[in-house]
Amino acid sequence: MRRAVTAGILILMVAGAASAQWVDVPLPGVPRDRNGKPNLAAATPKTADGKPDLSGVWKNLDAKYLNDLASDGVQVSFTPWGAALYKERQETFSRGRPSESCLPHGIPDAMMVPAAPFKIIQTPGVVAILYENQNRFRQIFTDGRGFPKEMTPAWIGYSVGKWNGDTFVVETRGFNDSSWLDDGGHPHSDELHLTERFRRPNFGRLDYEITVEDPKAYTKPWTASIRFEFLPDTEIMEWVCENERDAARSVGK
Amino acid sequence: MRRESLIVGGLCVALLVGALPLIAHHSFAAEYDSNKPIKFTGKVTKVEWLNPHIYVYVDAKDESGKNVNYAVEGGAPNGLFRQGWRKDTLKIGDPISVEGFLAKDGSNTVNARAWVLPDGRKLFGANNEGAPANP
Repeated sequence: MRRAVTAGILILMVAGAASAQWVDVPLPGVPRDRNGKPNLAAATPKTADGKPDLSGVWKNLDAKYLNDLASDGVQVSFTPWGAALYKERQETFSRGRPSESCLPHGIPDAMMVPAAPFKIIQTPGVVAILYENQNRFRQIFTDGRGFPKEMTPAWIGYSVGKWNGDTFVVETRGFNDSSWLDDGGHPHSDELHLTERFRRPNFGRLDYEITVEDPKAYTKPWTASIRFEFLPDTEIMEWVCENERDAARSVGK
Repeated sequence: MRRESLIVGGLCVALLVGALPLIAHHSFAAEYDSNKPIKFTGKVTKVEWLNPHIYVYVDAKDESGKNVNYAVEGGAPNGLFRQGWRKDTLKIGDPISVEGFLAKDGSNTVNARAWVLPDGRKLFGANNEGAPANP
């Protein structure tokens, strides 16, 4: 059986290399062993200024965080408004969630869709995140600016980042109240303030921590920790939402 | 030939990860009924290789023997592509067996858990977030 599985994987690799420009691209800059296999345990790559380089294609491995950001027993303390909204969403099995109508996932759930990885491009001045899910992008400004005085309400807000040692700390404000924090329906208001911490302890691993503060929805901040895995030799592909039937078919109970 | 290899390769990968739920971006329970598992065999009449989820239409007979055209929802095209599926892995006229769950709205829409080819190969290309582990 093991031999058959190995053969299958080899066939996939060989056939894939011959036919797929998207999912088996031997990308430069990936440390490899003698057989060309990516060495994901290699050291964290660094940028010219000595910071960890977060660049690469990353994937959440566990769908539970898409369904419930507070998996792993995170204690979430709701305000009455937040509790009522969450209860309603839970009771209707998340009927009305934005992506049901091709509207965006927000932060962090655009990164939580396991079938749709995301790509980080780290440059001086800005770190860009390209989400395969719905092909949206996000800019995290690292040129030292603060938040603008006036911000138009946005699905993914306005993000500024700075390095704290080896941890990239991103603060985001300026949200509208339209996105959900997860498909399970953890709500937020336009007072949402997110703090994300990214750390790349080795080549293949990205540790992510997100703290949710929203005095309208939660009585105190809460934090979820998630691990992303480097996805070698693949690119982000086109993803246009053109055939979504969920909203029309959703019964919700 | 290459296509066959891809399917076999993809199948092996699918077997390796078979214990993990294959993922959609939305909740299963708002649309599909975990108390209505369904299995049927028929012929592919149409393939929609579109985001956010593929649809494969299958002519088959329902439990009462009536001819129906099932709309079978599968995974996201890019995710399937990375598993080795291609747009023409299933072609019009192909015989196919489907295991999945019926929609709650009473339509002939099915959330696929597994696709079984005539020779018995099983492709996991489901969109079964929140669905029970076994139909």
